[in-house]
Amino acid sequence: MTLPIKDRVAIAGLGSTPFSRDAGRAAGAMVLDACVGAVRDAGLTASDIDGLCGSNVVPARYVQGALGIPECTWHANLTIPFQHQIIESMNAIHAGMCSTVLAYHGVYRASGTSRAASADPFRARYGAGPNVLFQTPDTFEGAVGHSPWARRYLDKYGVGREVFGKVAINNRSNAVLNERAAMRQPLTMEDYLSARLVREPLTLYDMDLPVDGADAFIITSAERARDLPHRPVLIHAAALGQNDRPFSAQMLDVDCTGQQIAIRQLWRHSDVRLGDVDVFFPYDGFSIITVRWFETAGYCDDGEANAFFDAHWETSTDRILIDGRVAVNTHGGSMSEGATQGSGHFREAAAQLRGEAGVRQVPNAKHALVTPGGFFFNAGAVMLRTE
Amino acid sequence: MNGITDAAVFESFPGVAIDHDNIEHYRGILQRRLLVNRCADCGTWHEPARSRCPACWSTRVEPTKISGRGVIALFTVLHHGPPATGIDYQEGHPVAAVELAEQPGLRFTATIVDCKRETLRIGLPVELTWIERVGVPVPAFRPAEPRNA
Ligand SMILES: [Zn+2]
Repeated sequence: MTLPIKDRVAIAGLGSTPFSRDAGRAAGAMVLDACVGAVRDAGLTASDIDGLCGSNVVPARYVQGALGIPECTWHANLTIPFQHQIIESMNAIHAGMCSTVLAYHGVYRASGTSRAASADPFRARYGAGPNVLFQTPDTFEGAVGHSPWARRYLDKYGVGREVFGKVAINNRSNAVLNERAAMRQPLTMEDYLSARLVREPLTLYDMDLPVDGADAFIITSAERARDLPHRPVLIHAAALGQNDRPFSAQMLDVDCTGQQIAIRQLWRHSDVRLGDVDVFFPYDGFSIITVRWFETAGYCDDGEANAFFDAHWETSTDRILIDGRVAVNTHGGSMSEGATQGSGHFREAAAQLRGEAGVRQVPNAKHALVTPGGFFFNAGAVMLRTE
Repeated sequence: MNGITDAAVFESFPGVAIDHDNIEHYRGILQRRLLVNRCADCGTWHEPARSRCPACWSTRVEPTKISGRGVIALFTVLHHGPPATGIDYQEGHPVAAVELAEQPGLRFTATIVDCKRETLRIGLPVELTWIERVGVPVPAFRPAEPRNA
């Protein structure tokens, strides 16, 4: 079934900062750098922007005031991951609420993320941030949520932790080639397996990396995008997924998640099929999420990701290359480029489809599948393409 | 209802998001009674506590004492988490979602005590017990005593 919104809205501009553990800059300043970059990249000026979409880390009114954007007829401060900003901007443009959205995401290593972060007075004054630990130690809510499911996955399918290590190594091998990435030292399976367990069976290498930085996007109608300097990146199909047990402790099993719902809807609406995908961006907030996106998207059966990674491993670059052709999280993902809750995945997907990914470029990439979010309440799937 | 005031419940659980829908659960903990919401119309249990039964939408949900029997459905061992009295994250703090005997898929999350690391596994039969942290009761589960059939 084809939706009327198919291919009607496009990403027409990109802007980003580098990502690092300590940029020594305010979240707002980094967002403004990315936003100015995206507006200029699209060949536009402040008065061309009539929609703003961000989050409460740096709200839309901050950006509008700071960049002197005269009038907006639509704006939204949304939750993460970043598919929400992409999808709601698409919907607003298609509905006629506005014509050109500046969508952005800033990340700042808040004092709640670590002892080191809380020792920095700028971070302490910024507040605990969204990653503050839940008050009780006896819960699966918050950051703990995916760890028991990683354990369940290993037990259910009888595989070892290496399946998770392969996700971490793939991402790190890609990040080595990405100048923006925060972590660029190669990672070996020996490093992975000897790392300290943080939340069993997961280690620090299984988790995204809190960083400072920002991404920004210009989103507008495909028609308008064709008049702008860059090759339009069309939003071909998009979906979200959530079920009636959206809590880690209550979810029935690893194959009863929001991921199944999102991907089924995507395949209903997408003319681009899995075999057409040239570059794949599964979310990697935790390694188990990435493993399950491979299985849920249809690259292999449930529990078969470990064998799939082995069969599609490119030894010379130490990474996954599906059928010798489809690279995965070419920017290094949230684990190695830095935790941007999906904005990095979309930015790199768009750069690949524009043919501007430099040394990381997948030859002739036309279709990119981006699958942000985890099991419980924030899964999404977006197919991007070029003409 | 009983002798423990709302003020005492709030004071005993600083930082916990207590609201009108879950305060009876926490009042029960102070009396070492583990209460889970059950529908008075259709009998369905639900967790976490909410104002309506998710099966029939009845508002007649009643905090009801559970048997305390179940099996481990999911677990992790934490080596990092919020500081709490009696928890040694170096050694590891086990947390499990216990599938309660009352209903398939009904789970309560708690720590596991009196259990060797090599014994901890999905499917392990457990039973409710109580520990204390700074004088406040905390529900926990331990490996179940073998029972006669
Ligand atoms: Zn009911």
